[in-house]
Amino acid sequence: MSNIDLALWSFPILLILIFLRAPIALAMLAVGFAGTYMVTGTTMMTLNQMKTLTYGTFSNYSFSIIPLFLLMGQFATLSGMSAALFRAAESFLGHRKGGVAMSAIGACAGFGAICGSSLATAATMGQVALPELKRYGYPGSLSTGALAAGGTLGILIPPSVILVIYAILAEQNIEKLFVAALIPGILAALGYVLAISIWVRVSPNSAAVKPRVPWGERMVALLSVWPVLTIFLLVVGGIYLGVFTPTEAAAVGAAGTGGAALASGQMSWAKLVQAILATASASAMIYLIILGAGFYNNFLALTQLPQTASVWVAEQGFSPWLVLAAVLVMYLVFGCIMDSLSMVLLTVPIIFPIMVVLDFGMSANDFGLWFGILVLIVVEVGLITPPVGMNLFIINSMDKDTPIGQTYKGALPFVLTDMIRVVILASFPAITLWLVWFIDAWVG
Amino acid sequence: MYSALSMIARALAQGMALTGGIILLLVVGMTFLSIIGRVLVPLDIGLGPIRGIYDITEIGIAAAIFAFLPWCQLQRGHATVDLFKPAFPNVMNRVIDVIMDAGMLTAAALIAWRLFLGMQDKLRYGETTLIAQLPVWQGYAAALVGAVVFALVAAFCVIRSLRALARSESLGEPQ
Repeated sequence: MSNIDLALWSFPILLILIFLRAPIALAMLAVGFAGTYMVTGTTMMTLNQMKTLTYGTFSNYSFSIIPLFLLMGQFATLSGMSAALFRAAESFLGHRKGGVAMSAIGACAGFGAICGSSLATAATMGQVALPELKRYGYPGSLSTGALAAGGTLGILIPPSVILVIYAILAEQNIEKLFVAALIPGILAALGYVLAISIWVRVSPNSAAVKPRVPWGERMVALLSVWPVLTIFLLVVGGIYLGVFTPTEAAAVGAAGTGGAALASGQMSWAKLVQAILATASASAMIYLIILGAGFYNNFLALTQLPQTASVWVAEQGFSPWLVLAAVLVMYLVFGCIMDSLSMVLLTVPIIFPIMVVLDFGMSANDFGLWFGILVLIVVEVGLITPPVGMNLFIINSMDKDTPIGQTYKGALPFVLTDMIRVVILASFPAITLWLVWFIDAWVG
Repeated sequence: MYSALSMIARALAQGMALTGGIILLLVVGMTFLSIIGRVLVPLDIGLGPIRGIYDITEIGIAAAIFAFLPWCQLQRGHATVDLFKPAFPNVMNRVIDVIMDAGMLTAAALIAWRLFLGMQDKLRYGETTLIAQLPVWQGYAAALVGAVVFALVAAFCVIRSLRALARSESLGEPQ
């Protein structure tokens, strides 16, 4: 068996292990270890690497942004900002048809600006918005579907843990990725609001609207969310202007949301312990997958599969756009059953070298940003598609009266807007890249 | 006997995770101070960034992440695809749990063992970090604590899933 054959066989084996419920990190570790043994004929190489590889990975300065962003998100959930954001959004949108659900989306978008995780956003906003949606008579399918979709704004709107991982794997500029994610993130929120607006008009329901709020009160409500805006500008702006390293910005963000949590009076010892334990579990999970992906990618690099595959694809003369479409569809399909982070860690090291040699008529830097945002969106869709959509599960578990089937149904219109958005952003790269170009021209 | 083991594993894992959390908070605090120091440099009042803050961050985060591993293991926090779990027979799921926990134990033991050897190397060569000149072996030593507890907790998890297989009772949430 040639090395390339070995590499090609490793995919189905890895998938079988994963479907047999192996922890994804363990499956990648095992296949990487065994594969390297079969290529080199010795385990000594891997064992020697392991003396420094694990510590080297865990102490990598670029990765240190991850636990800090997770901690920031955990503190954000205790800051009371979710309720303030929801009140502010409601004062602007509450009097419209479907307005309470739209406010939930708006608040999710705001919360996404200080939280880089989708599950935390969905869970936090669910706590605040679900009772209110119920009180105003929204059907369970719409409220749970909207909140599950709104939760994905946590990673679509920067800061975003998935983008950090993509930036490291594809060697892209994290600050520019955050800026590039901004307009697509806002488009996502607008798309979700539009979906709600169409839903409440097409399907008759009992959802009530709130009375119109005078502008004075709206401004007061808006001012009460100043900590969110301050922290967001400090973190994303600070990274972009080079005032902080990304890790420092994440630490500032954690300190900021931690301070807001202290000030809100919601932080108790028990809550702090909870926040730390949740950060611990999520960080350990991510780092172990990064370690496993490192083993697996070392093996793939030994077999030279990524280079061979990219040469092969280039020689076939496929249309770049067709390849892109195929890759995005693959992400959508796998997203239905796999979690977004593992998918990015597993695929980007193989897919990116293939994609970057294709000619999309833009510079390699622009391509890296644009492709990253497209990948971010398609893997995020996986969070709200059955059968395995973590956001659907978490929101559904918070609403005892709504069966999971109703939540699946409720998420569908939002998935549809995601699809439309992917097609638009893929067809017009300038939408994503415009803000980066603009700021570059302005700053530089 | 089992409940005693279970309590010890939980106490160890939680204690490590909280220790890691305190380290994480310290990193946040020191980074914050360092940034303030850097901002104050132009005032020339003898304040500046913390020397080697990046080295300190690297060591602190590494120690914290190693300390987080046992808790993730005990809580079954690893990412898995459970799509086919309901389709598999009950016994098969139990057997898979045992195999996967044994796999995790192997990985954890391997990681701890190699980390220990790596620490000996760093100690022998007296390697230090670039700026803060901290001995690298000390970072390894801090990491080793978490790695060893990870292996111990992983061993407990094998016992836990073996017991569940033997009793064939439904696997509830970890206690």
